[in-house]
Amino acid sequence: MSEFEPKIIAFVCNYCTYAGADLAGTSRLKYPSNIRIVRLPCTGRISPLFLLKAIQQGADGILVSGCHPGDCHFTSGNLHARRRWTMFRSLLDFVGVPKERVWFSWVSAAEGRKFADLITEMTENIRQLGPFEQARQLIAEAQLS
Amino acid sequence: MTALENFKKRAKELLAGGHVDVVIGYRLGTTAELRRTVFVRSAEAADQLVLDGHCRENLAGYLTRPEVWDGEGVVAIFVQPAGIRTINILAAEGQIDPQRITLLAFELAGSEAIKELPGSSVDDFAGLIENLKSQPAETDLAAEIEKLESLSPQQRFEFWQEQFSKCIRCYACRQACPMCYCRRCIVEQNQPQWICASAHDLGNFEWNIVRAFHLAGRCIECGNCERACPVNIPLMLLNRRLAREALEAFDHFAGIRPDQPPALASFKQDDPQHFIL
Amino acid sequence: MAKILRKDRLNEMISRLASRNTAVFGPSPEADGAISQFRLMQTSDEIDLERVLTRLSVKSLFFPRTEPMMRFDIAKQSIDMQQILPDEQKRVVFGCRPCDAASLAMLDGLFNWDYADAFWNRRRENTTIVSIACTRKDDFCMCTSLDLAPDSSFGSDVLLKAASDGAGWQVEAISDKGRRFVESLGDLLVEQNPPELAATTVVEKKFDVAKVCEWAAQDENFESDLWSQMSERCLGCGVCTYMCPTCHCFDIQDEGNAYRGVRRKNWDSCSFSLFTLHTSGHNPRPTQASRWRQRIMHKFNYYPSKFQHRSCTGCGRCTRYCPVDMGVAETLQAIGR
Repeated sequence: MSEFEPKIIAFVCNYCTYAGADLAGTSRLKYPSNIRIVRLPCTGRISPLFLLKAIQQGADGILVSGCHPGDCHFTSGNLHARRRWTMFRSLLDFVGVPKERVWFSWVSAAEGRKFADLITEMTENIRQLGPFEQARQLIAEAQLS
Repeated sequence: MTALENFKKRAKELLAGGHVDVVIGYRLGTTAELRRTVFVRSAEAADQLVLDGHCRENLAGYLTRPEVWDGEGVVAIFVQPAGIRTINILAAEGQIDPQRITLLAFELAGSEAIKELPGSSVDDFAGLIENLKSQPAETDLAAEIEKLESLSPQQRFEFWQEQFSKCIRCYACRQACPMCYCRRCIVEQNQPQWICASAHDLGNFEWNIVRAFHLAGRCIECGNCERACPVNIPLMLLNRRLAREALEAFDHFAGIRPDQPPALASFKQDDPQHFIL
Repeated sequence: MAKILRKDRLNEMISRLASRNTAVFGPSPEADGAISQFRLMQTSDEIDLERVLTRLSVKSLFFPRTEPMMRFDIAKQSIDMQQILPDEQKRVVFGCRPCDAASLAMLDGLFNWDYADAFWNRRRENTTIVSIACTRKDDFCMCTSLDLAPDSSFGSDVLLKAASDGAGWQVEAISDKGRRFVESLGDLLVEQNPPELAATTVVEKKFDVAKVCEWAAQDENFESDLWSQMSERCLGCGVCTYMCPTCHCFDIQDEGNAYRGVRRKNWDSCSFSLFTLHTSGHNPRPTQASRWRQRIMHKFNYYPSKFQHRSCTGCGRCTRYCPVDMGVAETLQAIGR
């Protein structure tokens, strides 16, 4: 019986978190390969529609990560994103998408270790949670699986 | 004079004096409980106006219709406090010019009586709307939300899946909402197709979530959407939950002033981020 | 001699049909947040026989709001397509109303016009419509204005009329399919002297439909001010078209990605502002008035000229559920009082 391998999609900003992930790579820090990284110029570009698309395509977990407040390459993109995340997170939780499946973080370009640790922790957590069955049922019913 | 008689008098004066081109109000409908929107363009036609406890529809959405505005004209419109907040939001979002709107403001006092609210432009009601912000939310809705929040996420998902499975994608919620004025809704975008247009459970889930999100921090809870829904989806639960979040997280009360920065187009340095790792 | 179906034998009917692989669909109750529509019935107490009319019409059983048409799989060297047709499940619709039954007959011509629509036809061929004549109505019913009636048999395979003692219905086979159905029930039906029937409800005419059609057919009325007057408060939603048992416009959508997906047929509405938007950006029906005109003209002018039926059965759902109390009645009364 093969172990469940979670599908995790990460939407990250180019200048901080993506660079941080790069650093993790060049530092040869190991982290699970369950993560699929989607690079955006800034977290301010991340629309909640991306998260919904990830769920629609069968993601078990979603990570959204960007620059720390004050460090945004575009000055305030992450500050707009922060508000969006607050609202969307509470909406998702209210309609039954477990909070534990959608993670948000600030990871800077220097935080390679933080990135690796975060992905490791998240993958394990989602593995324990199991596949996002309720969403998969909806997808199957639409015959998109 | 009853409130209605006074309003009719005002409407006739506005029309006869050429101060407004049209008065948007209510008239009788198909049954005793139904009311219809009416566009009154002459003082004589103002006689058909009615105002009572059945006049619940928020009419302010009609203000984003080009047909309503005749060149440089002014429009008068019957509004409740939710309608005043609507005009504030539409003004803040650059969709209408509040200077060209004369308000015939009223409130439902109890189930039947109408109370006329003094004033005729949005600025006259600033204090009234400020007071609304500190008023407690409607209790039945709050209780239902509390009940849902006490369930597990899986149970909540099941609840909403059942509700959204009824959705036939008629978009009455969207069309009835004064704040849904996009000429091309996100669901009508097909390059790429973000949200499934089909009325299966997945598509319905996506649609209702997206619409709720697009109203986050903008919804003034007039209830048009839930009343319009032909399949009784409890949309106000979603709207109330998000309105509560906007207030708790950002101290944002939608539609408080016509120059209020939109909730999701502005930020504060100390916005909450306890959930961000 | 008349054939009677007793209420207390409905359960038996359902199980007998089930044993013959025939599913029974009936009006479901509007309770616990669910809305009334035609659902699969396992027992007779699931059937709501009291309500005047289901919210969702019987059209949903033949033309669902979304249905898959085919599956596709695109690989480097090949494209694999699999047609998805409705199953050939035998069904009986029990408790249809005459207005809904009429709509099915009206749509047969359309779905077999220049193309035989397998999605519609398969379901139609395998379904028997057992209607129950109306003993009650509400303020929105207007079947008689469309030359139909609360006890019309048009479109039904079998028509049931309630006995005044409430014990059951007098059964009348209308079509060959209906005759076969009645025969198949055998001893489930009791033969007796015709019982006293409950009074059919009376639905006053709300407008003169012949006048409406005549007016609509006159070229100069295409530009009438009536259209913008009548549609001023129209929201442009799809409630009237989706609740209407004769409205049949659909959109084809591919879902999935560039490699795998499903092609679907979904309800669409001529009320939507983008319904006629061309790729060029031009929209021949740019105003709600022009869209409302299209709706009325289609039902009372264009459709009758092609299919000999007005595309309306007077069920009243358009007015009953319109968020702004519109629906066709107001316009038709303005034209043809």
